[in-house]
Amino acid sequence: MPERTTHAEAEGTQPSASVAWPIELDAVTVRYPNGVVALRDVSLSIAAGEMVSVVGLSGSGKSTMIRTINGLVPATTGTVTVGPHVVSKLRGRALRELRGNVGMIFQGFNLADRASVYQNVLVGRFAHTPTWKSMLGMASSGDREIVLRALDSVGMLEKVWGRAGALSGGQKQRIAIARALSQQPEVMLADEPVASLDPPTAHSVMSDLARVNTERGLTVLVNLHLMDLARQYTTRMIGLRAGEVVYDGPASTATDADFEAIYGRPIQSRDRLGK
Amino acid sequence: MIAALAAFTALTTIPALGGVEIDLESIARNWSNGAQRVGMLLTPDWSILPRTWEPMYQTLSMAMVGTVISAALAIPLSLWAARPTNPNGLTRRAVRFSLNVVRAIPDLVYATILVAMVGVGTLPGVITLVLFDIGIVVKLVSESIDSADSSYMEAGRAAGGTQTQINKVTALPQSWPVMASQILYSLELNVRISAILGIVGAGGIGRLIDEVRGFYRYDALSAIIIEILVVVLIIEVISNGLRKRLR
Ligand SMILES: Nc1ncnc2c1ncn2[C@@H]1O[C@H](COP(=O)(O)OP(=O)(O)O)[C@@H](O)[C@H]1O
Ligand SMILES: [Mg+2]
Repeated sequence: MPERTTHAEAEGTQPSASVAWPIELDAVTVRYPNGVVALRDVSLSIAAGEMVSVVGLSGSGKSTMIRTINGLVPATTGTVTVGPHVVSKLRGRALRELRGNVGMIFQGFNLADRASVYQNVLVGRFAHTPTWKSMLGMASSGDREIVLRALDSVGMLEKVWGRAGALSGGQKQRIAIARALSQQPEVMLADEPVASLDPPTAHSVMSDLARVNTERGLTVLVNLHLMDLARQYTTRMIGLRAGEVVYDGPASTATDADFEAIYGRPIQSRDRLGK
Repeated sequence: MIAALAAFTALTTIPALGGVEIDLESIARNWSNGAQRVGMLLTPDWSILPRTWEPMYQTLSMAMVGTVISAALAIPLSLWAARPTNPNGLTRRAVRFSLNVVRAIPDLVYATILVAMVGVGTLPGVITLVLFDIGIVVKLVSESIDSADSSYMEAGRAAGGTQTQINKVTALPQSWPVMASQILYSLELNVRISAILGIVGAGGIGRLIDEVRGFYRYDALSAIIIEILVVVLIIEVISNGLRKRLR
């Protein structure tokens, strides 16, 4: 476990790349209780600090795969290893601690709309806060500092006391990024983070994610269904089709034929976001 | 549907079929009596008012205390009774079942039993109101949590939060407008209910109503009823005003 002192937190020192964690999936299969097999014997290994996209059509298993990494979806067979932890071996408190080290953002932002921006970002401190302290509404001054710093880093500091629901889609996703950053995570997961945004906003949120990778050195795994975003913002691409890995290689040089193999059909205009 | 209801009503009011017997003959027999009483009701005797201040104050206090206590209990219970805020099916069903039982019993039955148990006064009245309020507030609030979007829960879990942390920091502010609105509504209901609870001995203005009715002072009764009406309307106006500001 990396050491993080309160002093370093208060100083706001950039976490060095060495705090990032690698991710390893070994023969992972996920079968949902209704019998659907969403992932089939997936093995891959992602080095610490990589910026990886997972590309595939809707229903190909992207959300399922990303959720096996923080244990929101348990692997039916196979092992998922994140940093020093084997996810399937963790229960209760240990699982919550792992999740505290893995930030996640979602297509639908998943904010409590009627709660304040501050309360939403404070969610990122849960794993670092005893439940009784949360109950009494006692955020430590360190936590408050981290929340404000995270909001500042996505340019949302002036919205801190407003309602989350009053913001635009792009602003909401930035709040969600701040929530994940306030966890001070080693890994950042993003499940179609720009699918609900207009093209210019989508590009700026993707840039924010790319900065999380380059400036903080986190391992970033981002689900996308658009080929141009994968090419432009990520270095490595994993193609999923019907729950199986059908491509694993560099993203920027992936050819149209590679994408056609992933999609299992000719490329259409809706596979690209454009500017 | 409406036709069926109408037919049902018509059937049950036919004397030979039992159900609700409407005995036209006895209505006619008692009518002169009734006319005289209506006459008294139409000429309120305002001299009773000074005697109403004390019990009316008691009624309002009961309503207020009942609302505060029930709110304190209903807020955690609502979170335990809704699926997103309590994924544990066992405890959730236990809370829901107990509340269904609490709700099934009419308020006057509670009051009557409690008066017998703890004696005449405002205490049985307050307990009755608390039970009644918890029954409705928890039902309405937990159903609203069940049907509201709860995707923010997944974010809380992904961040490693316990259910208690997620509930306190996000679910509570998220459902607060609905809770506050239902709590204010329960205050309105409490004023109305506590006005009659005194009839069975549970304190407040109802005791006075029972007394003047016993002496056939329908003119004084009418003054009290008008006073209750005014008080209820004032509480409703205040509560509506507060509720609008919750949006
Ligand atoms: N909770 C679930 N229960 C049952 N089946 C599911 C569940 N979530 C996803 N699936 C199914 O698993 C497959 C993969 O879904 P998903 O991982 O969401 O793919 P993607 O994110 O690429 O659209 C789909 O067939 C989907 O219907
Ligand atoms: Mg998905």
